Amino acid sequence: MNPSSDDVVLVIDDEPQIRRVVRNAMEAGIARVVEASTGRAGIDVAAAERPSLIILDLGLPDMEGADACRAIRSWSAVPIIVLSARGSVPEKAALLDAGADDYIAKPFNTIELQARVRAQLRRARLAPAASPTHLVEADGAVIDLAMPAVKRDGATIHLTRTEWQLLRTLMQNAGRTMTHRQLFSAVWGNAYGDAQQYLRVHIRSIRRKIERDPVRPKLIVTEPGVGYRFQTEP
Amino acid sequence: MSERTRSKALRAIVWTVVFVAVTAMMISIRDRLDRVHVTLAYLLVVQLASAQAGRAVGITLAILSFLTFNFFFLPPYGTFAVANPLDWLVLVAFLITSIVSAQLLYRARALGAERERLSAASRRAQSLEQSNRMKDETLAMVSHDLRTPLTTIKGLAHEIADAGDERAEVIEEEADRLNAFVGKLLDLSRVTMGTAALDIQPNEAEDLLGAAAQQAQGFGRELTFHVEPSDSMLFGKFDFVQSLRVLVNLIDNAAKYSPAGAPIDVGARRVGGELHFWVADRGPGIVDDDRERIFEPYYRRRVGDADLAGAGLGLSIAKGIAEAQGGHLTFAARDGGGSVFTLSVPAMDLPVDGPAMDGGAAD
Repeated sequence: MNPSSDDVVLVIDDEPQIRRVVRNAMEAGIARVVEASTGRAGIDVAAAERPSLIILDLGLPDMEGADACRAIRSWSAVPIIVLSARGSVPEKAALLDAGADDYIAKPFNTIELQARVRAQLRRARLAPAASPTHLVEADGAVIDLAMPAVKRDGATIHLTRTEWQLLRTLMQNAGRTMTHRQLFSAVWGNAYGDAQQYLRVHIRSIRRKIERDPVRPKLIVTEPGVGYRFQTEP
Repeated sequence: MSERTRSKALRAIVWTVVFVAVTAMMISIRDRLDRVHVTLAYLLVVQLASAQAGRAVGITLAILSFLTFNFFFLPPYGTFAVANPLDWLVLVAFLITSIVSAQLLYRARALGAERERLSAASRRAQSLEQSNRMKDETLAMVSHDLRTPLTTIKGLAHEIADAGDERAEVIEEEADRLNAFVGKLLDLSRVTMGTAALDIQPNEAEDLLGAAAQQAQGFGRELTFHVEPSDSMLFGKFDFVQSLRVLVNLIDNAAKYSPAGAPIDVGARRVGGELHFWVADRGPGIVDDDRERIFEPYYRRRVGDADLAGAGLGLSIAKGIAEAQGGHLTFAARDGGGSVFTLSVPAMDLPVDGPAMDGGAAD
């Protein structure tokens, strides 16, 4: 499977050595690379070149990472992967909230970076064509959002309205980590009360219904401290 | 006599001398003085004395001036009798004014001292906060400055290894080791900072076990999970990410110190006001002599294979994380051989109604 050679990845990083490592990793059959060394220049190149994906390093001299994310997100749906040396969970959640699609801690593993870039490129290619996932068959469960109905091993399973809303939000963003905040505002509107607790209660009860083994979930995966992700592929 | 009492007594004497001097001076020019002059001169002395020497001196001088005023400056002179009844009014007004002003000055002084003390405390808190912030910034900078070159080293080593030089794999591994060390430094600072660095939230036990199962996939061990009681939801108040690291570290240790193929059990259980996460193995256990010491920093278990030790979080940091969130980390020998490590955190009872329970959870 050779990714389409038209893919262009924009690397925004002030360290020339990191740009070089990322470029080499990308040019190994994934995408062509354009570079920028400041946040400002990065936003300009993003507008001019319309890249298929952006790799954004945090700790740019001229701009906060979340601000750069929001600036690009205000006019473009291009996948953004953030690189950060901090690797802190609150930072990760804040960046995903600001519109980043994925987050990789430095120092990263080249193979993992390549895999994450491929996954985002694939997702972006599929997104405009196919409508969000309606029907999922995985690990013995069949989930049909259009019906809506869930079956596990042939038996129909009853979900409450809140559970449906939560599951729908996760499935419509399949493959993407949804932060606690994003899930809460999608399901309950404004976040009030004990948001964390409600979310945990419902995730747990959905898992108990649709997962084969709720202690080893295969469909709704926990991203520790950040949120949850609906996994379509193992 | 203490330094403080001595200086207080000295000030009382000085102000008494001033009072006597002022009185003597006014007596010598008594003919040219009006009552108003005397009143104002005494008030000035009383107030300055209160401000400088304290309330007691101020009030004493107020009473003394009341008496001398009457005796020396109100006709008939040299007696405590008062010829003009209106002069009583002046005298009493003088006494009240001087005593009240002595009180007010004393209170103002006390308030000033309190404000001084508060502002010193707030300066201290501010400087603490600032030093904490500086520590945070320094750590962020150190992790950035170390991890950025590590990224380059690791990335280029990967390219060279891909080109066929196996030695480059060692470079990549060593870069990982150095990075793990940076992580440990950050952990250590988190533990020393205590709860401030933690994100304590209501969390659910199965969620944590599931995340641990996922992270432990790489250990190549079969894990068996136990949730007790299995039909109820177990909630606790803990930092999900840090507790997960502790739990994964315990599973990692269990995998390292028990023979390949031996089962590892992992569970969650409600015990009174606590939620327990436990990891049990069928390894050699821990000899009695070491039971106290395993949680000490720099402790290494005595095992043949030196490569096993030194990786992971370290039980002392794990214990620090457990305690910072109001829990414990304990060891017990397992019935039938092996070890049980337990991370306990404060348990939480779920409210029986509310938006969390819209009829679905109890299905």
